[in-house]
Amino acid sequence: MEHEAPDLVCQLDSVQGMVDALTAVRWKRYQDAVLELSEHGVVLIVEETCCLQAKVYLQRELFIKYEYRAQGRPRFGVSLGLLVDCLNTFSVPGHSSVIEIQYPGPDMQLLLKSIDSLDACIYAEIRTRIPDTISWDYSFESAGGTPLSFTVKAAALKEAIDDLEWPGSSIQITLQPALPSVSFKGEGHGDLQVDFMYYANTDLLIAFSCDREVSYRYKYKFLRATTSNMPSSVIRDNRGSKLTIGRGGMLKVQHLVSVARLSAPHTHIDSAGYQHPSRIAYIEFFVKPEKDGND
Amino acid sequence: MDFILSGSALKTFARSITCLARVGNELVIQASPSQLAFHTLNSSRSAYQSITFKPDLFDTYTVSSNQVKCSVLLKDICAVLRTPVASIDNISMKLPDPDASKVQWTLECYSGMRKTYWTTCNIEPDIQHLSLDRRKFPSNFVVRPRDFNRLLANFQSSLQEITIIATDRTSLPSDTASEIEGKAVELRSYIDPTKENDSLLHTQLWIDPTEEFVQYTHTGDPVDMTFSVKELKAFLSFCEGSEVDVHLYFEKAGEPILMAPKFGLEDGSSSNFDATLVLATMLTSQLREGNSLEPPQLATTIHGQNEHRTGSQVQHGSCMPNVSEHPSDHTKIWSDISDTDGRSFSQRHPGNWVDADEDEDDGDENELCVGSTPPYFEEQ
Repeated sequence: MEHEAPDLVCQLDSVQGMVDALTAVRWKRYQDAVLELSEHGVVLIVEETCCLQAKVYLQRELFIKYEYRAQGRPRFGVSLGLLVDCLNTFSVPGHSSVIEIQYPGPDMQLLLKSIDSLDACIYAEIRTRIPDTISWDYSFESAGGTPLSFTVKAAALKEAIDDLEWPGSSIQITLQPALPSVSFKGEGHGDLQVDFMYYANTDLLIAFSCDREVSYRYKYKFLRATTSNMPSSVIRDNRGSKLTIGRGGMLKVQHLVSVARLSAPHTHIDSAGYQHPSRIAYIEFFVKPEKDGND
Repeated sequence: MDFILSGSALKTFARSITCLARVGNELVIQASPSQLAFHTLNSSRSAYQSITFKPDLFDTYTVSSNQVKCSVLLKDICAVLRTPVASIDNISMKLPDPDASKVQWTLECYSGMRKTYWTTCNIEPDIQHLSLDRRKFPSNFVVRPRDFNRLLANFQSSLQEITIIATDRTSLPSDTASEIEGKAVELRSYIDPTKENDSLLHTQLWIDPTEEFVQYTHTGDPVDMTFSVKELKAFLSFCEGSEVDVHLYFEKAGEPILMAPKFGLEDGSSSNFDATLVLATMLTSQLREGNSLEPPQLATTIHGQNEHRTGSQVQHGSCMPNVSEHPSDHTKIWSDISDTDGRSFSQRHPGNWVDADEDEDDGDENELCVGSTPPYFEEQ
């Protein structure tokens, strides 16, 4: 029996979009995620201890209803795979599905149920854990001076990282202002260098900011995690992903994932493909450089 | 040396690498001012493929010395060509000096990405160069790859070796010839009796070369050849992609067969690439009455030498088939696929079905009616 109102009751009309956003941060079969609830929305955090962290921001505007009554910011742990699989059962292709998510249940579970179906109701409970590790705050600090960042077509970034599997080595990312360009290089049993040239007329490198040459190495499997499960909607929507190099060579990779249902009448997509910002989930990856990174 | 390729030449190059990678592991590159040659030999030395390109195929082609040789791993080149050809504007290859340890491949993609690969190379390759004179083969046929694939589709996809039996329509007595309705060529699945085989599908297919082949030349006694299907399919894919027919040259069991693209007459010598696939064939002929005692083996090695050779160089086995004059002995039915009570039955015209024990008597059976798709017919 509930004595208090739950911390959060929210309703979501685009389950598939949420599944896409959460799938983007799956790089292993078993991952423990931490969910943080606030009046601004829901944040899901997963990490590979001290090497790689990913965050999914689902701001409250994505939900058709968001009733937040908690004191402070509840945090709880949940299995990411379990959460995604569960959400998938609510998502029926070609059928609009509205679900209600509530936390906490009587036993601190996460409760989910379908609410728009006339003839059946799907109801799920997921056990949660007290997160025992404080997630490392990858407080991303600017490298100082001019930001070192570039925005590249997400599909091209994924293609380049997939190709860079072949050398079997860590990947060196170099930004240089002189011939304004970005290179990814791997040197193993064979060498591969992928160059992104910054020209005004191609839509490959959309933005580029760099005033000095910098170069850092990253472990391939962590770099790979940032694009391996990129949702197909990101590629279809021709989105760009932003990469920023912060202090010490910390790499931040940002993706935008559409959470809207295209059939919904209220999504505003104008001729330029611009989508109302509230229908987008933000994904961030933080990758630590290899110890012997130079520059 | 270096070259740059784009457009349809790039597609030809990619297709060539795909085919070579299905035959062998190591690619030997030999460059001279007049041509660029790629060849490979499979590990069991039973398949050799060579593809040559003329300089005018390339956007640019430069060779510093008279002959540049090196070898690279085909799986590395396949990694270079992992990017879909449709998204590549051009590929350039550079071997900076004859004793460089790496070959550089640069892809300029339409997306604006530039991918530069460095693959290790071996500058002292163990070159096996094989050259057979096509004119020395007594028999040959030309077939459209699509048609040959259609025939092969009748066989189990896991089939490893196939036997082709070629007969001469004109050398048979005229009444028999009309009885067999011109189905002068047989394709037959080959199953290695030394391997553990249960519940395998045996398939025999008789075809009329005038219907299925573009051209067919074989005179004299029937001959057969048994060879690997895997490389055959790779070569058919290559020819189909290049929109050319396949020319297959053969002699008899134990002698290698040679396949090459058959360019249309108007192309003729002006084609800027050529290819050859040489496959060893089994020493044992499938035509002989009673199988030989020795286990079948692929005609062992195609001995590689550095010089050109004319004529084939394959070990001759001791089992030269003792071919009889009688046409009916030449197509042997496997008794294990006959009716269980030991009687043979015909699925084609009875004139072609022979029991091992029965004396052929063409005369009577020729009187029987002929249908284009012969029904089940029991012999008396």
